[in-house]
Amino acid sequence: MTTDTASPHIDVAPPRGWRTWFTQENLITTVVGIIVAVAVFLPLIALVINSFLVLDDLGFDTEWGLQNYREVFQGRVIRKALVNTALISTGCTILATLLGVSLAWVNARTNCPFREQLEPFNLIPFFLSPFVGAIAWHNLASPKVGLLNNMAKSIFGISFPLFNVNNLWGVIWVTGIFFAPLVYLFVVGSLRRMDPSLEDSARTTGAGLLRTTMTITLPLVTPAILSGAIIVFVTTAGEFGVPFKLSAPFGWETLTTQIFTKAVGDDANHYLGAAMSMVVGVVTAFFIWIQHRIIAPRAYTTVTGKGFRPNLIDLGGWKWLAFGYNVFYVCVAVILPIICLLFVSLHKIWSGSVIWSELTFWNYQKVLFFWWPESIDAATNGIINSFILAFGGASIAMVLAIIVSYMIHRTKGFGSKMLDFLSVIPIGFPGIVLAMGVLVTYIKTPIYATLWILLLGYITRFFPYGQRNISSIMMAVSEELDQSSRMAGASWLTTLRRITIPLLKPGIFAGWILLFVIFLRELSISIILYSVGTETLSVGVYYLSNFENEPMTAALSIAQTVALLICVVIFRKVAGKEALTA
Amino acid sequence: MTDNNYLQVDYLVKYFGDDRAVDGISFGIPEGKFLTLLGPSGCGKTTTLMCIAGLHKPDAGEIRIGADPVTSMEKSINIAPEKRNIGMVFQSYAIWPHMDVTQNVAYPLEIRNMAQSEIDDRVAEALKIVGLTDMADKNATQLSGGQQQRAALARAMVFRPRLLLFDEPLSNLDLKLREQMRVELKRIQHEIGITSIYVTHDQAEALVMSDEIIVMSKGNIEQSGGPHAIYARPVNKFVSDFIGVANLTEGRIVGNGGAGTGTIEIAQGGEDVQLPCLLADGLAEGDDAYLSVRPENVNASRKPVDGPRIEGEVIQSVFLGNCLDCRVKWGEFEWKVLAHSRERLRVGEKVYVSLDPDHTLAVKP
Repeated sequence: MTTDTASPHIDVAPPRGWRTWFTQENLITTVVGIIVAVAVFLPLIALVINSFLVLDDLGFDTEWGLQNYREVFQGRVIRKALVNTALISTGCTILATLLGVSLAWVNARTNCPFREQLEPFNLIPFFLSPFVGAIAWHNLASPKVGLLNNMAKSIFGISFPLFNVNNLWGVIWVTGIFFAPLVYLFVVGSLRRMDPSLEDSARTTGAGLLRTTMTITLPLVTPAILSGAIIVFVTTAGEFGVPFKLSAPFGWETLTTQIFTKAVGDDANHYLGAAMSMVVGVVTAFFIWIQHRIIAPRAYTTVTGKGFRPNLIDLGGWKWLAFGYNVFYVCVAVILPIICLLFVSLHKIWSGSVIWSELTFWNYQKVLFFWWPESIDAATNGIINSFILAFGGASIAMVLAIIVSYMIHRTKGFGSKMLDFLSVIPIGFPGIVLAMGVLVTYIKTPIYATLWILLLGYITRFFPYGQRNISSIMMAVSEELDQSSRMAGASWLTTLRRITIPLLKPGIFAGWILLFVIFLRELSISIILYSVGTETLSVGVYYLSNFENEPMTAALSIAQTVALLICVVIFRKVAGKEALTA
Repeated sequence: MTDNNYLQVDYLVKYFGDDRAVDGISFGIPEGKFLTLLGPSGCGKTTTLMCIAGLHKPDAGEIRIGADPVTSMEKSINIAPEKRNIGMVFQSYAIWPHMDVTQNVAYPLEIRNMAQSEIDDRVAEALKIVGLTDMADKNATQLSGGQQQRAALARAMVFRPRLLLFDEPLSNLDLKLREQMRVELKRIQHEIGITSIYVTHDQAEALVMSDEIIVMSKGNIEQSGGPHAIYARPVNKFVSDFIGVANLTEGRIVGNGGAGTGTIEIAQGGEDVQLPCLLADGLAEGDDAYLSVRPENVNASRKPVDGPRIEGEVIQSVFLGNCLDCRVKWGEFEWKVLAHSRERLRVGEKVYVSLDPDHTLAVKP
């Protein structure tokens, strides 16, 4: 016998051995954890503090008080903006959910012709800029210069304007069609992975096709639908570009357009802007909390991860209606806007109809030829800055995402839980809200008015998207793969470099391109944090739309759209078809 | 004795939250031996292994390999896993899917900055020992479960570690392959003569492979010893129940005959029977104890036998070819009996049960 059978039971407080804490892993993850915590919390704390500071009448001194909040809820303009925001968010959520769920069902569960070919086109709006969508629809369906209205006039002789998107309905329409893919992505995965026996057993009890769909299929994906709807609601509440282009100039302000006027310009009042941001942020964070805590955990209880081949429903003759519906969506969300912008961008002056003899590339020269003295700086700067920000931001954010995911899934204890929490918080706050926080935090530091402040805002707001890409793979990769590398003699960093990261490569690429796309079209953070010289692509579009003319705006919009579409193609190549589906 | 041990673990404690997963255990193993930590899931065996590997940090205790402490919480020492020079085979094999077999096995040698020619020689040698020479260029994902297992073993031993750890390596294989790999693993371990610690919940695996077995439950060591001793002389109810099959029933020690023998009294349905038995260490007259006897040491016959009389009824008799698996009901208790197949006991028959006193044990509750 070589062992003590009865080992003495020692009940002392375990000695702490604090020196054993200092390992490569602990040091690096702690430093990254602190950086992330500071980056996320500092702007939010600054936002809270500033929202309780009231600017006096002269605009020089501040004192503590609730006056800003009183202004938000009682001031005539801002209260109306609050109501408009609620109306737009609700309307958009309904429209996007109807579109997203129906398209997902048609593509995933029916025999709609060409559904596999149509699916990538259904998802394109996810990658494009809703602001550009608003510009396109402004040119398609304004009362005077709208292409569709003028065509209706010349073809059918309709003298009154058929469409008018310069109001709240227009905002709901454009945000609705652009955010429908968000719902689609939440729902389509659940529909595809659903155990077909759940529906089969309903059929055997005598329920018909339609009845089974309405009483079994859709209720089973309800958590996914609700998740998608909440994300759309929150995204719309924080959307700046679309209401800025379509409704604000015509008297329908929203909270985001109001925050914008308080952040920059002659009327600037950061404290009031902070209070408005707080109101938006508290509401959106609450909704995200509900989604995260209550709805998302239920999403997979009936939908297992096994690879099922779902039942396809034979629509009979109706399948052509489904096909027509799908094509209609692609037309209004992708094809019409792009064609319209293309035509507008090829005219020196746009008057609502195509003049074939006067097509010119002049506008493209003005906005793209940065070496040309007559080019417009805001546009050319924007292109260069956006590519720098997108490249640098996506790279830094993915490095953070890898380490944060590692901490969440491979370490235990307080740090892991805190980072999991920190990675959700930025999703709860719209870009414009977080940007307001970043602005009031760093306005007196040297990074203000540089690209660094934009980079900071981008990464803080969007690194969770990259982190989710990594986490989903990391959860599927056994921890033992890392551990066996340590046992083989490799240090923590070497293991990260040679084992962990190579295994995560698909997720890293997909996350990187996704962030690249998001940064390339980013507007609501940029519009708060930019200054002369640090314009971004979308800020360039904003500048042209405000201070130049529609054709030039359209030209830069087309340039941005082309860049984004190239990214979409690369993304699908790298990430595969199912990569986006939640 | 502990001075002779190559690996020595002393007073190891590991908490998970408030749960004391490893409860101050101590054990050791001489060089070149094969030690198995055996127990049900949640008994702390894998946690103990992880602490030895350095992948978990214990809350208290000391772990020594050879003369060097690799973990000593009192001295604030906890060497990183990669500095311990320990090979480990994981439950999932953990073959890296982005490398081929050769790259997997060469990895520990590359980390140690060996010359390419030596790496090639050692990898070839390791693959030969595990019988994977033909698979050298295959991608990890192309290997079967058993082949991945062999590749993992090659990778764990290629750098000639001081210690080899196995974390339930056979539990993902099907039964036939598992039985084959048991023998194979033991052969390889013997061939390279490396000190090994093996974690499993499968008692058959432990009995076949080990030089020494430690039975654990709830973070504590229940018993340790050679396979034969563990099977033939369990010290308490838990070990008796966990290893093999045993008839276990409550009783009391009523006599001590010296030299480890004694008498246990068991009662069933108003009948008291006193049986001669072997006493586990520490049991004295008057103690509560359990009677433990293996089915193959229980005899059932139609004719009365000398000594204590236990009369029961056969309620199950299953013919297994070489033996009969019977249940004999005696009061509320059912005796499990492995009878010789020529006995032909039938259900409903009255039989007399007798126990072999040399294999009848009184064990601690």
